[in-house]
Amino acid sequence: MAKQPNEPQAEINLEDLLRLKRSERPSDEFWSDFDRELHQRMLQTLVKKDPWYLQVLRGLSGRMAQSAGIAAAAALVAMLVVRPVFIGTAPAGVSVAENAAVESVAARVEVAMSELSYSEATSSASARDYGIDVISAGETSRDAGFKRDFEMESIQLASYDTVAYSTDSAQSRASFATSGVASLVF
Amino acid sequence: MLPCNSHGNCFSWGILMATTGSVTKTFAPAKEAPVSERDLDWAVVQKVQAGNVGAFDQLVQKYREHIFSVIYNMTSNREDASDLTQETFIKAFQAIARFQGKSSFFTWIYRIAINTTMTFLKKRSRRRYISYENINEEVSNSEIFERLTAKNRTEKGALVQELQEKLNDSLQKLSPKHRTVVILHEIEGLEHAEIAEITKTSVGTVRSRLHYAKQQLQSYLQDYLG
Repeated sequence: MAKQPNEPQAEINLEDLLRLKRSERPSDEFWSDFDRELHQRMLQTLVKKDPWYLQVLRGLSGRMAQSAGIAAAAALVAMLVVRPVFIGTAPAGVSVAENAAVESVAARVEVAMSELSYSEATSSASARDYGIDVISAGETSRDAGFKRDFEMESIQLASYDTVAYSTDSAQSRASFATSGVASLVF
Repeated sequence: MLPCNSHGNCFSWGILMATTGSVTKTFAPAKEAPVSERDLDWAVVQKVQAGNVGAFDQLVQKYREHIFSVIYNMTSNREDASDLTQETFIKAFQAIARFQGKSSFFTWIYRIAINTTMTFLKKRSRRRYISYENINEEVSNSEIFERLTAKNRTEKGALVQELQEKLNDSLQKLSPKHRTVVILHEIEGLEHAEIAEITKTSVGTVRSRLHYAKQQLQSYLQDYLG
């Protein structure tokens, strides 16, 4: 049954109410202002240039992206070309390195052994031939008794030579003892 | 301009207007294949992309009222709606070189409008100013207002203003997502599938949101219904 246009009893539903919103329309004046403002803003966007730093950034980012792409491609090529070479040569290289390492270790062991024997030989010889005595000023005063005890031996040792040498030796020992300089005792 | 329905399809009527002196005869429209609105817009877009900047004005003239209506009902503020509508067209103008025609221009521009408005609403969440457009006088004299006046036994002028405020308040109580769906479907008359494409959701989601939003609105507007 068709609805009567002016029937007051007809039900009002939500869609009817929402449809009223369609009638909230701006006037023609509004649209003329709107068009004018929009054209101005569009012209501004056409004319307006980006700030210099944005242009530089854009240029840089473009170049960076380009160079990054080239670098990635180069790395890929390098992986494909160079890696098989490494795979082929790696065992030989490792064995050579191992051999060299073994040889160097053996040589070092030999050197060490020879040094050890030499040092043993020299140390036994020095123990036999030389005695190193460090005499400091403090020690001299502290070990005065020691010097006194062995003073005669050193003089006796010098007494094997000439008399003049013995006196010189005695004087020099006395001066060394006070100054604290190392002296070799034969 | 070709006549279009609310769903964005225009028909080339093939109206033959034979003007003989002051007499204009209009023949009945011939049955022709409907010219896709999408194709028409795409042709204009291609003109703009080719450098004919002035052609963009055709798109502005065609869609400005729809876009304004959506944004106005989303914001309930005519000045904000005006600014956001302009912003929508400027964004579209700036991005039109990248528009490839995968979706229709109509969907694309609506999506820009919705996204621009959503961003604005998030920023505006604290303050809210209301400024309404006037309801068309023809509508205020329409049948529905006659019925409402009779039902509420109030003066028509007061009722129009009251109902307008109540409708806008009710819409603003909805979440922006629910509001969008109601506005696009009930006020703009878009199909569920079109809304789904604009909002990038499924048709099911659109239906569900619409159902919930209408339930809410019915409870808010209970005094005027029935």
